Amino acid sequence: MKARALVRLWSIFGEPLWIVVSMGFPVLSSLALSLLYYSIGAASYVGFAVLGGVMVSFWGNVLWSMASQFYWDKQEGLFEIYLTSPAPISAILIGMSVGGIIGTVPSALIVTGIGWVLFHPAVNAVWGGVILTFGLTLASLYAMGMTLSSLYLAYGREAESLNEVLQEPVSMLSGLYFPSLGARSPFPLAIQAAASLIPLTIGMDALRKTLFYGNDIWQVWPDLAILGVMAVVLLFASTYALKYLENVGRRDGTIGVRIR
Amino acid sequence: MASKGTVSVEVSDLRREFKGKGSPVVALDGVSLKVGQGEIFGVLGPNGAGKTTMIRILSTLLLPTGGWAKVMGFDVEHEPEKVRRVINMASGAEKAGYDFISAKKNLWFFSQLYGIPTATAEKRIMELSEMLGLTKYLDRKFYALSTGYRQRATIARAFVNEPKVVFLDEPTIGLDVMTARSIREFLKEQARRSERTIILASHNMAEVEAICDRVAIIDKGKIIAAGTPEDLMRSLGAPALVMEVSPPQSGFEMLSRVEGVKGFTASTEEERGLSTVHIVVETDAAARAAEDAVKREGLKVVASWRKQATLEEVFVALVGRGFKEREEQDVV
Repeated sequence: MKARALVRLWSIFGEPLWIVVSMGFPVLSSLALSLLYYSIGAASYVGFAVLGGVMVSFWGNVLWSMASQFYWDKQEGLFEIYLTSPAPISAILIGMSVGGIIGTVPSALIVTGIGWVLFHPAVNAVWGGVILTFGLTLASLYAMGMTLSSLYLAYGREAESLNEVLQEPVSMLSGLYFPSLGARSPFPLAIQAAASLIPLTIGMDALRKTLFYGNDIWQVWPDLAILGVMAVVLLFASTYALKYLENVGRRDGTIGVRIR
Repeated sequence: MASKGTVSVEVSDLRREFKGKGSPVVALDGVSLKVGQGEIFGVLGPNGAGKTTMIRILSTLLLPTGGWAKVMGFDVEHEPEKVRRVINMASGAEKAGYDFISAKKNLWFFSQLYGIPTATAEKRIMELSEMLGLTKYLDRKFYALSTGYRQRATIARAFVNEPKVVFLDEPTIGLDVMTARSIREFLKEQARRSERTIILASHNMAEVEAICDRVAIIDKGKIIAAGTPEDLMRSLGAPALVMEVSPPQSGFEMLSRVEGVKGFTASTEEERGLSTVHIVVETDAAARAAEDAVKREGLKVVASWRKQATLEEVFVALVGRGFKEREEQDVV
């Protein structure tokens, strides 16, 4: 687990260009939305845009470096090495997650710093609640990435397209830059209900409540409980799905089949 | 086919079918063999013969559809976790490393999949690198390594956990002569000194001939001959006949009608303006008849000589065609 986390970190920080690219998108999108909110007199939403910039870094990491990782590993022949080793695949996935989280922190900090210096968003935080919510959001988000990574193994070259398809709709539905749940949400109830199946949606909503509206842990406990349950369920689902796909692959001979 | 001493790999009546468009495709058809500890065992055959399928079953990546296989006494179908603790594998076709980290860090990472303490792993990586001539390149990022050094790193990876059995699938494919030779020397050393069993799937006859203690020749999923390379070559009973024929020809079908000709393979050298035909003959008379048959077609025999049979000629004698022709037949 530790080794896989280190590989992720070495890879992220080994290439200066990657650092710039991975930080560029969240910083720029966050800045653009903050300026927009500011210019239309919705200064109270600027904080949402900065928070969105922080969380979109993690969401991008989950999608591009977690969910599709085993697909790339399979293409390179690395997945076979994992399978023929005694290491549990779930440990490798958890290692990737930990490495991904730590590797994304600098990007998140830079977005926060720039947003703070330029816009001074109004914060009314219960920090204990923020930290707990943030931790549970990341746990459930990366558990979702682990589950997706096993499902992506079943796909062929569609993996990259699937990422493209998921990225923007999930960003919108989960309310990365504006509230997508509750009274302030622009979405009808049915869409809100569907969006609630995404851990990021619950996490973003709870983060806004604890960071900007001064809600304490007891006021957001349903969100925290859902995030906790999602993290555990998705973690087990990923392990089960990987084992299932391994068995199917061994039976059908698809483990080593690479798309050229 | 039996081995001497302690058995590391045992395969009995192994079958593997894949779903085909119509009927199932049989990749392995009742293969049985035993490989001893410290033995380098070659599995030789043309592309599509079933070599890789066998390696994949033995390395727990594929289930057999019939028969059974054991590695170090563990059943590959029912005890894959136990098998995985004692094996490793490498393929010449794989890239098998993370591009943006160094070869050394890659090797360390793979050692961690086997729970090897870092100090032990680092010592082992240095030893393996020394043996493979990789030491100077260990700190280079994986993407910056040449194909040859990347393959040396891949081979080092396959030995980093000190496996009892190593499966190698075309480990020197696409490598220059010197790199291929150093990898072969390394493999021989590993088998001799550390008593590792190496199963080498290849269609490189010279490689198999050079390093394997025993060889199984496989064609269309069946073992058609097995033994030491020397025994197999001796078993032909008569040396091969090589003819250089002008002008170059694509087919030498007239040879299949000559009595005593067990098989042949031909290649064309456009620059020299001739074809070279390797013919496996039963007797001297058959050799003379083969030469006459070519001349009767109006072709000029520029040179002809007899030579000791190679594994390629063993295959030709058994199947009637060389690897290349066999692969083309399968495509048709």
